[in-house]
Amino acid sequence: MTSQTGTPTASQRRVKLREPERFALIGVWIVLIVVFCFLEPQTFPTVANLSNMLSSQAVLLILALGLIIPLRANIYDLSVTSVLTLSAVIVAQLNVNEGWSIWPAVLVALIAGLIVGLVNGFIVTRFDIDPFIVTLGIGTVVLGIAYVVSNTRTISGVDESLSNAVLWEPIANIPIDVFYGLGLAAIVWYVFDFTAYGQRLLFVGQNRDVARLNGVGVQRLRLSAMVCSAGIAALAGVVYIGTTTSADPTSGAGFLLPAFAAAFLGSTTLKIGRFNPWGTVIAVYFLVTGITGLQLMGAQQYVQQLFYGGALVIAVVLSKIIHGRSLRARSKEATA
Amino acid sequence: MSVSSADRNGGGATSAPTATPILAAQGLVKSFNGVTVLHGVDLTILPGEVHGLLGANGCGKSTLIKILAGFHEADAGSLTFNGKAVPMPLGPRGLRPNGMAFVHQDLGLVPGSTVLEHMALDSYGARTGTTRIRWRSERRRVSDLLDRFEVDIDPRRLVETLTPVQRAMVAVVRAVGGQEQEEALTGEGRSVLVLDEPTVFLPREEIELLFALLQKLKAQGDSVILVSHDLDEVMVATDRVTVLRDGYLVGTAVTKQSTPDQVVEMILGAAHVEISRMRPQATTTGTDVLVAEDLTGERVKHLSLTLREGEVLGVTGLAGSGFEELPELLFGARPLYAGSITMGALKIKKPKPAQMMSQGVVLIPADRKAEGAAQELTVTENLSLPFLTRRAKGWSISWKALRQQALHVCERLNVVPLNIGLVFRNLSGGNQQKALLGKWLELGPRVMLLNEPTQGVDIGARADIMKLIRAAVADGMSVLCATSDHDQLVEMADRVIVLSNGRVTSEFPSAEINKDTLANAVYKGVSA
Repeated sequence: MTSQTGTPTASQRRVKLREPERFALIGVWIVLIVVFCFLEPQTFPTVANLSNMLSSQAVLLILALGLIIPLRANIYDLSVTSVLTLSAVIVAQLNVNEGWSIWPAVLVALIAGLIVGLVNGFIVTRFDIDPFIVTLGIGTVVLGIAYVVSNTRTISGVDESLSNAVLWEPIANIPIDVFYGLGLAAIVWYVFDFTAYGQRLLFVGQNRDVARLNGVGVQRLRLSAMVCSAGIAALAGVVYIGTTTSADPTSGAGFLLPAFAAAFLGSTTLKIGRFNPWGTVIAVYFLVTGITGLQLMGAQQYVQQLFYGGALVIAVVLSKIIHGRSLRARSKEATA
Repeated sequence: MSVSSADRNGGGATSAPTATPILAAQGLVKSFNGVTVLHGVDLTILPGEVHGLLGANGCGKSTLIKILAGFHEADAGSLTFNGKAVPMPLGPRGLRPNGMAFVHQDLGLVPGSTVLEHMALDSYGARTGTTRIRWRSERRRVSDLLDRFEVDIDPRRLVETLTPVQRAMVAVVRAVGGQEQEEALTGEGRSVLVLDEPTVFLPREEIELLFALLQKLKAQGDSVILVSHDLDEVMVATDRVTVLRDGYLVGTAVTKQSTPDQVVEMILGAAHVEISRMRPQATTTGTDVLVAEDLTGERVKHLSLTLREGEVLGVTGLAGSGFEELPELLFGARPLYAGSITMGALKIKKPKPAQMMSQGVVLIPADRKAEGAAQELTVTENLSLPFLTRRAKGWSISWKALRQQALHVCERLNVVPLNIGLVFRNLSGGNQQKALLGKWLELGPRVMLLNEPTQGVDIGARADIMKLIRAAVADGMSVLCATSDHDQLVEMADRVIVLSNGRVTSEFPSAEINKDTLANAVYKGVSA
């Protein structure tokens, strides 16, 4: 048996080594860090800056990790940032204006997120409609609800115990929410690579007919993926309100494109052509490294738009090119 | 296979053209990758005739049509249209500029657009200088055109609201109308319309409407080439027929002077190569494994069948007869409108793939690329999908066990190259099919539903696949094999049912299975 399993793993390893593209993003990231260290030696390579870069991205990281679950099943969930907003606003409203204690408020926010996911999933699977459109519409409705809940005002002064739970620094000035994000990445990684659920999601995303003909409950799986992304988006909303202690209906507005940019850029690394959690982690921090460095050099706020928007398009183009090339290389190997 | 001169003269008398042919093709030769598929074929079409082009699968008739349409380039041969020699090779539009129009089997209509939009699209392309579509005058023109052929359809209707035969008629009128507009520009006269198996998906009772339309075309001096498998309709609708076999011209006959038997003999040839049957004396007396009653689906109508333990039940028929739907219907992969499936004590009204799999039923779909495997995923991943939870420890799937199993399957079935980390689409068709077959056999199924199991598979892999199925059947598995490949049924089936119009029209026990009886039953819809 050992000789049998030895053959393919050896050849698989050979294929992996022949694909330096898998680590290209990490390489560019390192180059970026080195360049900024040279250009801005006073401000860039400091503990304060490192801590700031890491913690400022925790919410985005959690949101993007939720997003890649439906993306693996080829579902674009555009309602995640609305769910984030709703969740943050619910926590703020219940805790500050209604006098609830913080943890029941958090629970309600998470449940609200799951309900949005169920509504999305139900409409998409029951009537077989493109999730892109459904989540666009439902996301806008949810945003409207967030306006109603908050009465269109900024609510600040959320209980400090939430901030403490999110911003507590266990080691080296790095707040705990970064580790929440990394922990979530580990969970998503396990689910994607080592559970039947993750493999079935992959097949649903690649070819629904094949999944169906192999006895996979395609629609139930798609529904569950949308519940996952909405639930995790609500969690991201809770972390958001914990870090800022205030929320208003525009809180989540800026997260949608960065989350998609990180998800797609992440799919160009480690496992090319597949949305993967560690790739998403790398992409999130690659993007913030570039933006922070440029801002330290004096670039204006708009550098964010340029960087995120450009990264999304470049990521999609790159993954297309790299994927095509690696396929050709493998088919050459197959015929050789 | 060589064709004797007796065969070439076939059934009816070879007629001498009395008028100048509108289209004459002489000595067309075409090969692909060194394999010659057309060996100097002639085709002569007279003005104002409906001409049948017949032959079994792979006889070369599609290649011939594709040469005329400019899709393939002929290696040798000459063409004349309306008495004038046409320079070869043809351009990408084939003989269309000369006055030919083509209607393919899928009709090329968009369901969500109106009849008018389809026809305006064509004239928009034909006119020059105008940028605006004049909808009112277009509607008048299209109405007039439909009226002229007595096709009673409002041009504003969406294609998806039309019946199948109405769609076919719209496609024909559209092709003719487009051709006439082109002729108005070029000043050419009569045209030739090619209909490539237009009746396959039409209800029998409505086909006459389409044929009536062809008669009107004939009346105005146009000619029609009707490519068809269906002998009945060829005998009714055509004036002459040309038959091809294995890339050779068998002959051309006047339909009225020929009998259906003579035409069948032209199609199949007099001397058939005998195929050795794997288990000729097989008796099918096992217990009933699967009993289907009164099944009704998209094409299948009130069909009942019984599958016994350890038998290979062949299902065949013409395209569109419903035989190709049956495996998917039994697996719950297509909606079952009525009827039930009984397996042992369990009666299933609304089958679902997962449920059928738990009953030990597996399906190997015909469309390997789209439905058999996720082409971009690896061999291991594709071979693991049904086993994810079976080979699991707690929540974790055991990749080690799954890889071992995939490797075992590939080794046992001689899948080349033996690399389970390979992306699936890099395997050839035959190797893909072997891998998929092995995957399902690993599940130890009681019933295997096959749909065209050796389509697009090379000869070596085909033999492997047949042997494998036979071995599984010897161990007690039952097989239902839907195929249009009669050789395959002769080789492996213990019993064959033939479908026509969604119903079983004949059934053959083991002793009566041979190419002749099957071909007769399929082409003529009668049992021999």
